Amino acid sequence: MRGTRALAAVALVALAVVPWVAARHQLSLLTDLLIYGLFALSLDLIMGYTGMVSFGHAAYFGLGAYASALVLIHFAQPVPVALLAGALLAGAVALPVGWFSTRATGIYFAMLTLAFAQFLYTVAYKWRDLTGGSDGIAGVPKTALFWGGPSLASPQAFYALVAACVVLSLVLCRAVVRSPFGHALEAIRENERRFMSLGRDPRPFKLAVFVIAAVFAGLAGALFAPFRGFASPEVMFWVFSGQGLMMVIMGGIGTLVGPILGAMVFILIQEVLSSYTEHWMILTGVVFVLMVIFLPDGLVGTARRLRARV
Amino acid sequence: MTALLETRGLGRAFGALQAVAGVSLAVEPGEVRAVIGPNGAGKTTLFHLISGLLAPTSGRVLFRGDDVTALPAPARCRRGISRTFQITSIFPELSVLENVRIAVQLRSGGNFRLVGGRATLEATEQRARASLGSLGLLGRAEEPASTLPHGDQRLLEIAMAVAQEPELLLLDEPTQGLSPEDTVATVAVIRQVARERKLTIILVEHDMDVVFDLADRISVLHFGQLIAEGTPDQIRANADVQRAYLGGAE
Repeated sequence: MRGTRALAAVALVALAVVPWVAARHQLSLLTDLLIYGLFALSLDLIMGYTGMVSFGHAAYFGLGAYASALVLIHFAQPVPVALLAGALLAGAVALPVGWFSTRATGIYFAMLTLAFAQFLYTVAYKWRDLTGGSDGIAGVPKTALFWGGPSLASPQAFYALVAACVVLSLVLCRAVVRSPFGHALEAIRENERRFMSLGRDPRPFKLAVFVIAAVFAGLAGALFAPFRGFASPEVMFWVFSGQGLMMVIMGGIGTLVGPILGAMVFILIQEVLSSYTEHWMILTGVVFVLMVIFLPDGLVGTARRLRARV
Repeated sequence: MTALLETRGLGRAFGALQAVAGVSLAVEPGEVRAVIGPNGAGKTTLFHLISGLLAPTSGRVLFRGDDVTALPAPARCRRGISRTFQITSIFPELSVLENVRIAVQLRSGGNFRLVGGRATLEATEQRARASLGSLGLLGRAEEPASTLPHGDQRLLEIAMAVAQEPELLLLDEPTQGLSPEDTVATVAVIRQVARERKLTIILVEHDMDVVFDLADRISVLHFGQLIAEGTPDQIRANADVQRAYLGGAE
């Protein structure tokens, strides 16, 4: 445990120091990585801790991105207002979707989440007046931190906001999984029928964590829109949901920190490979297959196992 | 004296197959009741009907005089019916202690707090440890449940049920797959826990030594129907039972 604490301290110091040492494009890349990391972190709550594999998690990232973009463009509010709007919209939509989807388990749950996500994608694609259709919404501004407060337009300032959001989210998610509620989630993952015969209906728990995960995914999306300056239907597409699953698996299912690292590795592999070849997707697939075969517990899961052996 | 558990004409059909048919039985408080019968006699189905995992197609289930037929499994458990499964059913990746603690929390209710719930974890831990102590598993409390040997996993399941402080405990073949030595030890532990905690137990079991050793009364199922009921001596002497079961299958 002391080792973990030391690692966490090093990571925090590194996050704090980076803006002063990194070049502009490096800082921008790191901001991107952190946003994807937050998305993967939120997916781990339902996938890793509750055993619910969602194929539609991108929908909540996308809802967050659109809500954030619309608030920033039409109302010129500070960024945190947009973040709140994104997280709330994602959570609000996840409530009915989760209510239906958690009636099913396993592959049927996955298919329901996929169907709802593709439906939302189609809405984003077709509702041109609101969402700009396939062009999406461009020119999303990085406004201020609060009314009359400092601007977040500089890469350093926005990086700081994103880093703070990700660290805070990680702390909150850790509190969730370590609470009695979180213990119940793990028990549901392990043996749902046993859970039921011990006195509780698992569905309210599953619905609650589904909504919580959507809120964090929405937050990630709400950071994405002003950072990249746009929101477009691609961020709601099922491919992005699938990439989320890959990020979680590569980093380590049920480790919280792992999926953040997994997202970073996943995006970095893409960055590096795509600068050499246009067939980078094939190579990404090969890397993923090798990792699943040789590091089935993911980066963090494997590291923990090795340390436990020492 | 009113029965703790009563079934009235309880039945369950799976399509054309009548797995349980018109079973009426009454179990008194403090009694250890064994349900025996050949494979496929409907014993496990009867357990599912009593615990609520299956809904009956006919008849009623009464617990402490209340009709609980319409209640789903979780609600029946909260009223005081805890059970174990024929095929060991635990939370394999969680620690032994965590398995039991979850069981305690699920019964006592209201303490799955997201915020500020850590204190309730400590409170439930006391009860969990007491139950593990009763079943002799305290020494392995911190180990993942999946690393326990089979016999200890069976005991863990009983510990989870006992920790819920039920009034009625349903044990589905508690000695299934155990060595003769483990069987003897398990029977001793069950008897001791039942006495200490004044539990009413219904037990499905294939091992006749276990049944005659533990049970106050025995109910015999055959093709889903109750064909005999009585004390161990009466059942031993019953000609129908001899024909259907004791002389035949084993």
